[in-house]
Amino acid sequence: MLYTAFLTGGRRTLFLAFAARVAPAMRALDAGAEARALALVEDLLADRPARTRRELALFLWLVRWVPALLLLRPFDRLPPARQDAVIGWLQDAPLATLRSGLWGLKTLAFLAYYGSPETGEAIGYRPSKTGNTFLHAR
Amino acid sequence: MPVSRARPRESVRNPQTSAGSAGPRTARPARERRGATGSPPFGKLRAPRAESRGARATGPGCGAEPHVIKDFDIVIVGSGAGGGTVAQALGPLVRDGVRVVVLEWGTRLKEEEYTGREVEMATRLYFDAGGFLTRDRTMTLAFGRAYGGSTVVYTGTSLTIPEATVARWGVGGLTYDDLARRSRKYLEENHVHLLDQADINDNNRLFHDACRALGYRVEQFPINVRGCQGSGLCNLGCPNAAKMGTHRVQLPEAERQGVTVVTNCRVDRVDLDGRTLHVEVRDPGFGQPSSWTPGRYRVRAKAVVLAAGAVNSPALLLRSGLGSRLPALGRYFTCHPALILVGQHARPITNYHGHPKSYYCDHFAQSHGFLLETCMYFPFVTAKNLAGFGEAHQRLMSHMDRLQMILVLAIDPARADNRVTIDRDGQPVVDYTLAAETKRALVDSMRASARIFFAAGAERVHAPAGVKFLIEAAERDRIDELIPYEGLRPGKASISSAHLMGGCRMGGGPADSVADAWGEVHGVPWLFVADGSLFPRCAEINPYVTIMALADRVAERVRERIGTLRAG
Repeated sequence: MLYTAFLTGGRRTLFLAFAARVAPAMRALDAGAEARALALVEDLLADRPARTRRELALFLWLVRWVPALLLLRPFDRLPPARQDAVIGWLQDAPLATLRSGLWGLKTLAFLAYYGSPETGEAIGYRPSKTGNTFLHAR
Repeated sequence: MPVSRARPRESVRNPQTSAGSAGPRTARPARERRGATGSPPFGKLRAPRAESRGARATGPGCGAEPHVIKDFDIVIVGSGAGGGTVAQALGPLVRDGVRVVVLEWGTRLKEEEYTGREVEMATRLYFDAGGFLTRDRTMTLAFGRAYGGSTVVYTGTSLTIPEATVARWGVGGLTYDDLARRSRKYLEENHVHLLDQADINDNNRLFHDACRALGYRVEQFPINVRGCQGSGLCNLGCPNAAKMGTHRVQLPEAERQGVTVVTNCRVDRVDLDGRTLHVEVRDPGFGQPSSWTPGRYRVRAKAVVLAAGAVNSPALLLRSGLGSRLPALGRYFTCHPALILVGQHARPITNYHGHPKSYYCDHFAQSHGFLLETCMYFPFVTAKNLAGFGEAHQRLMSHMDRLQMILVLAIDPARADNRVTIDRDGQPVVDYTLAAETKRALVDSMRASARIFFAAGAERVHAPAGVKFLIEAAERDRIDELIPYEGLRPGKASISSAHLMGGCRMGGGPADSVADAWGEVHGVPWLFVADGSLFPRCAEINPYVTIMALADRVAERVRERIGTLRAG
């Protein structure tokens, strides 16, 4: 079956809104960096079974619309503090399924930002093949 | 003296079955299920079949497709600590005309492909990029897929199994003395030694000194490196070819002796009646090409040694129809559930330069059921292992060079319900539930680690079970209160494992084990297991040396039997 991109349309909008709360530095990425970040996620998902992508799509739907039951607006249209509250609630939700779903989504957001080789320099991570040279120079 | 190599026989079969048979797979568009590395995954495995049909090679998918038939005497599945060891140990048989082949799922990377880039290397060298999820998605398992298996991606820590652990295993015919003797052989062969103190970075030194200050027993890890340059990238494949895994030591030697190694080769199942393996070779788009051209093969053998690891060996046997004969197959899976913990210092410390894992603390192993090890991970892995998000998470991550890290390993019990099964497509599924004592051990380990971080001078500590994201140094007297037992919530805390054990456990008979003390599968005298799946309980230490020692025993048994098996 032909793989079709996962993060398109509403899913892309929602994922970016979610990722901006989970890894706030995502907000500062320019268009090119953002595209590369999303490509990391897309490539990972492409290698996962279709069932995993279906579960993720369902969880994204829940994240988007369950807040509307209480707060009358979908996740991506909530103010940031409310979005954080939703994420925080899911992270400590009584159901392990919700917690692990949130963990999975968070992991993709972290992959988008921290998985990029460009991020290392910004966070003080500069490995070298000859690390002992730096170690001995301390 | 040149080695006289045994040549495998080869023939091509293209069964002209009825119209509508599958035939060769249609090439898929490049984008179809193609990952960052351009690696197309293998197709679906065969669905599990009824025992009565399990041995026949006439099912859909494989049976009707063209395939090449290869004949060997000994087929080894997997090339990691187990498979690589068996390959080398059996290599001398090639001179006597015995045909030996290793079938490895992963790729043999070119030296320039060891880039150290986190996501790229994880995707190329691990199953599911190191994030294989358990069924309930509360834990991830990391296991390698490469020429050299997981020995390409471990840190090279090389410990001999303790005598008390072998006694707890209680496997008749398996003694500590025998394992220790064989372990010593591989410690020497792999150039295992202690790093010079000048090569130990702050991340390790701070752990050592803090443990000493607190009165915790701490030891230096012997490691198997030759010419380590301290890239700190061990878990992504050493870019300096310094780590002495089977890809650097045993497999090259086996190949020199005439053993064939086939990479990019996935084994679907073993036809038990015909002693034939159904395999497929694919081109992943990177690495050195496989020695066999892409396509489907049937590999006929006199003896088969499975060393595909604690997930894939049980899954392969289940796909082969052994589940109903061996009720313990897949069960008693253990994995040293692990946490990555961090403490933040006020100033940069040396952490990502230098070997990442120099010390371990087994002070709490018997009393509380956990081990502590130094570690240093990469940005993405570190980020996902923190139980939190947002600004606080980002502040902690924004100074990787200030982070001290500890890896916790829980010593988990072997329980029948923790098991490997297969789904409808034949893919492995792991069911794993943390035992109450393991949860308790994980929380105790966070408390002990917090004390170590603070004793080392950290300003703040992150504990996944903590009541808040960070515990400040000023709160160090309230560690037990701030890291409560009920704070550990599966699904929230990022629990992972890289020590996968059990599933084909050794034992006295088929009622509660899969293989005997020499790795021979009960009731199938030509089928052997030689990897971590043999462990009847967890190893309580980093397991690769023990896997090599067990594999050495298996090779000895195969050597004894091969004459009879070839004649039969």
